[in-house]
Amino acid sequence: MSASLSGLLKPWTPRVFLVRWTRYNPYYLEPEVRKEAYSRPETALSAEEKELQELKETRPIKAAPNSVTSSVFHDPVISKFINMMMKNGEKFLVRGIMADTLELLKRKQVEKYHKAPPEKKEEIECNPYVIFHQAMENCKPVVGLASIQKGGKYYQVPIPLKDSRRRYLAMKWMITECRENKHRRTHMPDKLSQELLAAWMMEGNVIKKKFELHKMAEANRAFAHYRWW
Amino acid sequence: MALHRLPYRLRHTVTHVRSLHTSGCGQQQEAVSVESQSEPFSVFRTHETDPACHSEKHIGQHYTLPSAHIHTLFPHGLPRRYQEQVKTFNEATVMVRQPALEVISYLKKTDYSKPAVRYLFYGLKGSGKTLSLCHAVHFCYTQGWLVLHIPDAHIWVKNCKELLPSSFNASRFDQPLQATEWLRNFRTTNGGFLSKIKIKQRYVWTKREFTEEGSLLGELVNQGITRVKSSSDVVGAVMKELRQQSGQPGSDFRLAVAVDSVNALWGRSTIKKENKSAVDPEELTLVYNLRKLMRSDFIGGAVITAASHTGSLYTSKSNYLPQQLLGEKGFDSMDPFIPVSVPYYSEKEFDSCYLYYMDRHWLQHPQSRTEEGKKELIFLSNRCPSVFERICGYL
Repeated sequence: MSASLSGLLKPWTPRVFLVRWTRYNPYYLEPEVRKEAYSRPETALSAEEKELQELKETRPIKAAPNSVTSSVFHDPVISKFINMMMKNGEKFLVRGIMADTLELLKRKQVEKYHKAPPEKKEEIECNPYVIFHQAMENCKPVVGLASIQKGGKYYQVPIPLKDSRRRYLAMKWMITECRENKHRRTHMPDKLSQELLAAWMMEGNVIKKKFELHKMAEANRAFAHYRWW
Repeated sequence: MALHRLPYRLRHTVTHVRSLHTSGCGQQQEAVSVESQSEPFSVFRTHETDPACHSEKHIGQHYTLPSAHIHTLFPHGLPRRYQEQVKTFNEATVMVRQPALEVISYLKKTDYSKPAVRYLFYGLKGSGKTLSLCHAVHFCYTQGWLVLHIPDAHIWVKNCKELLPSSFNASRFDQPLQATEWLRNFRTTNGGFLSKIKIKQRYVWTKREFTEEGSLLGELVNQGITRVKSSSDVVGAVMKELRQQSGQPGSDFRLAVAVDSVNALWGRSTIKKENKSAVDPEELTLVYNLRKLMRSDFIGGAVITAASHTGSLYTSKSNYLPQQLLGEKGFDSMDPFIPVSVPYYSEKEFDSCYLYYMDRHWLQHPQSRTEEGKKELIFLSNRCPSVFERICGYL
């Protein structure tokens, strides 16, 4: 509702300035973080972009969050994973864990690479980011289940999932699996790298969980028409 | 400076030609033709494995430590992250840098009939002091010297699990575990010398155990390893024997004493006595004997040390200069010494390290291979070797 009212809002600045909030007055504009956007010459901008530039001179802009950088190494998927792993707001600790995980992944693969005979070298994937993204993709379920009430009983109905929900489920399963089902004395980077490698090879408990969800959805196919959206 | 790697078919010819190399410095004629052919392949790498032949033109290049040397010479000498890197890359390479070259050139030219010179590597955290020390120690080893390498003096003044009162002197304390471990590593490094050097004094350990004059050093070391209780005194005896015998007309060996984190010897310790009062490092037998070696009153050798803040106790984070780390007492004992500053990478050295990581497939992020990524790496690490290594670890 507030989004439709944004056109009616007059130029307004609050008496108390909000800094670093997640909820802003819709009058505020999004910040531009990418370096390339500032190095473009005047002529390269189209009409809408020129309009946007002029708007930015008068309207207030939201504060950029700390986790968003203009670094060339910034990866939104990894940022989301780090935020999900974080406990009690200790971002620094979790970023260290993520860095150690990626390093461990890379170390295992590079060691394999250097010990392999030349004809096998091409097949070994050493990039930890590629392995991470592929493992996440492999863990994402295609359909999910929703609990829908019909005639006094609750049925588990298969439903399509939004992309964000699929990503959330994959990451949540990965983190809970590593936290709960592994040996108590191993460190999180070891557990995570082991599970990520297994997921990349389509093995491991997270992939099993995804396939069980798919089987449940397939089994409850008959109730699919209970979904009304 | 985009270097293109040799195409695969040429690389086979290069490796074939490389087998013509003979060891030793006198390989210039054959080397010239090979070097010019493999020039684009090895700007960051040199085939010269002998530290004695390293010179200014090798600065910035990586040379490979032979794996046999690593197992004998560095059973305990290399930093932990470097050991992991050796395991991952399947080879151990060290960059030839100016501070190590300077010390090696001094070592080549010293007059060994005069008392030993003391060298001290100092620098900011992570600038490469320990590896420069290892480079110098490798030089000494390849020249056939006897290497007395204490990888980290800080482990002798903290986290002591067993502290025994010394049998030799009631006011001092023994550390049997650390002493036996060091003796074991000493035996691995200097196996050859243990059967040649004879001790010149009779040592009595207990009522029934003694080592006769004229028996081999190897027996003394084995005595220390098997009889754990007297191992700290054995360490002291070994140091004393080597100190007295090096450079003498009868013995044919030169003594290289390499101590990393030498500021631990004159700092404070976290070991507590039973009445909860702190132990002064001087009261520890190992530290006491090592300080006597640091006096460098022996001839025919050298003392190469490094002062590091990592692992040091009760020192402020901004301390990195020798006077700040050694303290007054330490500086007075070490004075006069030759301080060698170890700076961060220069531009050429950084480029060489970057290319080495690319060659070993360590920089995997696609953006890290672009110019933008490289500029960002320089900004993030400030060309500090250890920070650069940590950043490249997860990229």
